[in-house]
Amino acid sequence: MIRILLADDHTLVRRGVRLILEQEPDLKVVAEAADGAEAVARVRDTEVDLVVLDIAMPRMTGLQAAAEIVRRRTPPRILMLSMHDNEQYFFSALKAGASGYVLKSVADEDLVGACRAAMRGETFLYPGAESTLVRDYLDRLRRGERVPTSVLTAREDQVIKLIAEGRSSREIARDLHIALKTVEGHRANILGKLGMRDRVELTRYAIRAGLIEP
Amino acid sequence: MRLPTHLPLFWTICLINGVVFVVAALLLVLTPARVSSDPVAAEAAVVALGLAVMLLANALLIRWAVAPLQRLITRLEDIEHLEPTHLPEEGSGPVLEMAQGVNGLLLRLANAQRAGDARALAAQEAERHRIAQELHDEVGQSLTVVLLGLKQVEGRAPADLVPELAAVRESARAGLDDVRRVARRLRPGVLDDLGLTSALAALTTDFAAHSAASVRRSFTPGLPALSPEAEVVIYRVAQEALTNAARHADAREVALSLQRLGGSVVLEVRDDGRGFEGLTEGSGLMGMRERAALVRAELSVISQPRHGTTVRLRVPVDGVAGAA
Repeated sequence: MIRILLADDHTLVRRGVRLILEQEPDLKVVAEAADGAEAVARVRDTEVDLVVLDIAMPRMTGLQAAAEIVRRRTPPRILMLSMHDNEQYFFSALKAGASGYVLKSVADEDLVGACRAAMRGETFLYPGAESTLVRDYLDRLRRGERVPTSVLTAREDQVIKLIAEGRSSREIARDLHIALKTVEGHRANILGKLGMRDRVELTRYAIRAGLIEP
Repeated sequence: MRLPTHLPLFWTICLINGVVFVVAALLLVLTPARVSSDPVAAEAAVVALGLAVMLLANALLIRWAVAPLQRLITRLEDIEHLEPTHLPEEGSGPVLEMAQGVNGLLLRLANAQRAGDARALAAQEAERHRIAQELHDEVGQSLTVVLLGLKQVEGRAPADLVPELAAVRESARAGLDDVRRVARRLRPGVLDDLGLTSALAALTTDFAAHSAASVRRSFTPGLPALSPEAEVVIYRVAQEALTNAARHADAREVALSLQRLGGSVVLEVRDDGRGFEGLTEGSGLMGMRERAALVRAELSVISQPRHGTTVRLRVPVDGVAGAA
């Protein structure tokens, strides 16, 4: 059973998210908050495993609340929920300590998966962010800058170029005539080889690439 | 030869007339020229000649005296073509004062216009900000509710309704994407939420995603704090410069940098594209200049055919004196 704290300033959005999450037998929303400050207070008085935070909230934004929550001795995992399809928010969320970033416009599809990934200790990378990272990596490689050296297999080389073009896993699977699961495997391997496996590595990479300020 | 500076125009003309009359009177007294009570033809001719000389001298002198005034009037007439609007302060007495007066007026007009422009631009930015915020907070959230609600209903609906519900859900998603895109074009939320460097980084990633050129960014850490107005100006100028590079320059590489130079923050956007000869004021350049003027920033655009274009914006930082 995963105990979840849900923070969003829109009551109806909160209700919608709650209904989506509670369709899963192992997810339970045990507390709700209407702003960042309230979320921080709830984490203090309620035992939760996962906090889902909206980025734009009054009094204290989701990013500020996340930074506050991860300072606890045994912090719960954090997922950001956002309207912004923008890598800068994603990287800022990682920097603040979140392990994933879910766009509201795909929350109906991705949120449950992201919750599970966060609980497994994985980073939920939203697709736009991944292609930005990969494109930036390829650019730097082409310019001859020093980047984490790694040997990609021929197949991974094909996949990384398609990711850079912003293709989804499904499209890549169709183009290369391979199974969806295989593509997912390649994606994970590639990010691992480029040194973008988890939150810490990703943040470090984004800072080095000048994508966010240290 | 110069007239005393503070002599009013009226007295200048009186003085000229007086001098001419006195000279004429002296000539009449001191020379053998005489007019008898019964003038003969020769005497009349001498008087006529003297009169003509007097009139001519008078006319020439007065013309000389009012010439600067005439020049000033001509300049006033084509003042709208003058760039920058400033009259040369020359001439004497009243003419000089008039030129100074007109210059003062022009300066006040220019200041008032700049203040008006600044107000208009600020109002425009504020309005965009408000609309973007409302799109995000109202329309966006409502659509999110619809999206999540539909997903939930789909799970319990009879099988024959599911494809239809899924199609409606995709429409809601498309609506949400549209709202986000429009809001972002109106006002980059990232500028308010995460600051200028993040907003510029987001601009460059956007640019790289939609153009064949690769982009290199460099931000000096620890830039001095700028006013929100200055940040918006820098952001908009960078946006315009990148748009131009993508649309007209056919560049392979674009470099964007933000750094501190003495008491200023300098934005530079450089591309290796086609460049162009003679600045076409149309291509967003006017807008960039107007925005730059609002925060007393200097904008320079250097472009040469086949050698790319460099847009440089130097924004003074208030309260930072000299080199640090």
